[in-house]
Amino acid sequence: MVSARPTTSKLDRLSFPLVALTASLGVFLCALTNALSRATLEPNSILYWIGLLIIAVPIFLRLSLKGPSYRERLGLVLLLGLALYLVKVTRDSIFFSFPDEFVHAFNAENIERYHHLYHFNPAITTTPRYPGLEGATSALMTLTGMSSFGAGTILVGTARLTFMAALFFLFARLSGSTRGAGLGVAAYVGSSNFLFWGAQFSYESLALPLMVVVLMAFVEREAEPPEVGSAWAVPLVLGILAVTVTHHLTSYGLAAIFILLAVLYRVMKVKKPNPWPFALLAALAALAWLLIAARSTVNYLSPVLTDAIKAIWKTATGESAPRTLFHQASNTTETVGATPFFARAVALFAILLLAIGFFLGLRQLWRRRRELEPLVLLFCVAGAAFFGALLLRFAPAAWETGNRAGEFLFIGLAFVFIFGAAELLRGGPGLQRRRLLLVAGLGIVLVGGAISGWPWDVQLARPLQAKAHGREIDSEPLALAEFARKRIDGSRFAAPEADARLLLTPGGQVAFGGQGPDIQDIVGSPELESWQLPLLKENHLPYVVADRRNSADDTLRGQYFTVPGQYGDKLQDRKLLHKFARIPAARVWDSGRIVLYDLKDRP
Amino acid sequence: MRGHRDLAWSSIAGVVCALVAALVPWEIVRIVAALPLTLFLPGYAIVAVAFGSSEPALPKRLTLSVGVSLMALVLGTLVLNVFPFGIRTASWAVLLAVVVVGACRGAALRRGRLQPGQERRSPLAGFRPSWGAVAMVAAAVVIAAAALVLAQKPLPAKNAEGFTALWMLPTDSKEDAVRVGVVSSEQDPASYRLTVRVGRKSQSHYRVELDPGEERSFEVEVPRPPGSRRHVVASLYRENKPQHLYRRVTSWLPRQTTFP
Repeated sequence: MVSARPTTSKLDRLSFPLVALTASLGVFLCALTNALSRATLEPNSILYWIGLLIIAVPIFLRLSLKGPSYRERLGLVLLLGLALYLVKVTRDSIFFSFPDEFVHAFNAENIERYHHLYHFNPAITTTPRYPGLEGATSALMTLTGMSSFGAGTILVGTARLTFMAALFFLFARLSGSTRGAGLGVAAYVGSSNFLFWGAQFSYESLALPLMVVVLMAFVEREAEPPEVGSAWAVPLVLGILAVTVTHHLTSYGLAAIFILLAVLYRVMKVKKPNPWPFALLAALAALAWLLIAARSTVNYLSPVLTDAIKAIWKTATGESAPRTLFHQASNTTETVGATPFFARAVALFAILLLAIGFFLGLRQLWRRRRELEPLVLLFCVAGAAFFGALLLRFAPAAWETGNRAGEFLFIGLAFVFIFGAAELLRGGPGLQRRRLLLVAGLGIVLVGGAISGWPWDVQLARPLQAKAHGREIDSEPLALAEFARKRIDGSRFAAPEADARLLLTPGGQVAFGGQGPDIQDIVGSPELESWQLPLLKENHLPYVVADRRNSADDTLRGQYFTVPGQYGDKLQDRKLLHKFARIPAARVWDSGRIVLYDLKDRP
Repeated sequence: MRGHRDLAWSSIAGVVCALVAALVPWEIVRIVAALPLTLFLPGYAIVAVAFGSSEPALPKRLTLSVGVSLMALVLGTLVLNVFPFGIRTASWAVLLAVVVVGACRGAALRRGRLQPGQERRSPLAGFRPSWGAVAMVAAAVVIAAAALVLAQKPLPAKNAEGFTALWMLPTDSKEDAVRVGVVSSEQDPASYRLTVRVGRKSQSHYRVELDPGEERSFEVEVPRPPGSRRHVVASLYRENKPQHLYRRVTSWLPRQTTFP
């Protein structure tokens, strides 16, 4: 096992303040590259990846040493979490820009506006039924006067730091090594969803940290004598309830963990109190919330999961071709920027390194299999399942399920990785070389995770607002959203998805996009078909956005300025813009590529 | 809470922060007060009451304080939602202050009375960073702040395609006038000719010069005999291409209230 005895080495000169300084320089370099990208100067993205490595590598190196104290290691993992969160924050620091962020910000603004929960959200109808994140954000919004963006950024940042600390304590308690715990957390940041997806203003970004706090409380409770251990039940119970009302999948995952633990405690005849009360609480709370408050979750999740299962079956039986890795889905003929070969190689090499680390760790754990705790066993299974979940990326409709599951399973993988790292850092000749190999491996895992976690062409920021002649100008969809916010009082819109998200927030409108109801086909087809007006009428949608941009339906890329040569600069059939004028209906807003119609304003 | 300085200070801080966040009009002051009130104090107090005198070590206690504060915010929303007044500044301030003071009081009772000399050592006792370390951390904070400032600054984006938007809406519910606006998100200043036609005959012309980011709007009366409706059409032409219709918006006043 990795011990933390102090020792002197040249690398010990790499003190915490110096590591903090280099991390801030890395953040600045990432922010600078993003700024150049927003300025449409097409910076070499290698600068960005160097920035990430400048943040992480000194921290990894310091964590691999024996010298740092327990508190310094905690400080290092917090610094790592904060610096990588700042990379996301400095990417889009004016408005939320990730697809789900608009949805949750709309919910938070509705809570602030109406003072109660559960107001309708047209984009993802399930989200208001899990109001944990938005409710907590509303506390900050109402008490400070901050926008949903400011309050949400602070809240998710706080949750992220809590996650890093709780994961460190969890790993330290289970592995018995603070050095190992630090390296385990360092491995976790290589999870493909860590850098961007897990840092966005979305319910899972709060639920996952709370889940890890619950697991940390559980292992601390197990380690304490019963008279002290019972106190840990308070954060455990509060955490289970908070996760239940924050995110559906996390609450089911937490219930599953406790149920499996209860079974393992029984099967392994563990001489500690069986955690079945927590399993029962987590399962009943999740079920009760689903039945009482969040029935729509079934309709939301079941198509995703059944489609995933069908896709796995079809791919496995050869009925449909496997999905091409690193291929960006696009609903138009225009090609989305492909991930370069070298980047693909780094991402795949990172997986290989993780597999080696997992194998080495598993071998270590196997040697002490008789003394393993049930949660450690569960982590081993989760780590192995991570590689199974990677296979889902080959099934077209299942890749997202695999990607999302990876975030949870990676906790197990990172834990087992600790023991692989311990094997590598065992004393003896060539220790320094092996240490550098480990640090380089962690760096590749971080960069590889980031590459496979977010589409290549949107790793860097794009311009949403720009400056011309000293004044601010907005992108076309943002200008429409700002117009709606200032001039149209909370009306209902049908729009392509990217426009719809901006109309939710900052637009403050009830904007429908996508397929439920089938707005996508109404705003995406050049002909006005007989079913379209009745559907708009049925859903009370007087305002319709016609958008010629190819990227209008793309929630990752459609909200930015059009830049010639970048995806989204092609235009669709001009008829798309004018089809509602033929009803005829009033044109309220016209910006060339986007026209807003008011169907109630007609002859 | 005599003798338990941390609990006494937490209670006072909880009440003061709640009052400041609820009553002070300046956002920055409210932020300073609201951050500990929402993200630290409730968790600190709940952890204190849960653990009594056998609290975990400081790093774990701090982590739990923040984590439990987040849980308290999540569950507090559900509590406030039950009441008719709902989720407001005042209700949050009162709820969080009550949780902090109540839990601190409970914690003091659980800990019991401290003996003289039994008071806790400051967690920062013995922490003496060197000037060099302080300078490096300060520089790190400044650089990170600079990164945030840079990220918030809209920058010139010469390759981004600019545009001009034209819009038109009735001025009020009487709908006897419209406001026609022209917004420039162009990269350079531009000149336009705006024509607003009301019915078949009446026409108004405007010359519009706009800098990037600028908006100009015009109010146009829509006179009409009682019971009749008027078609209003606003057309925008670029001065360098006066024959080419650039943007057009339309309306029929008063507007219908039903779908086609």
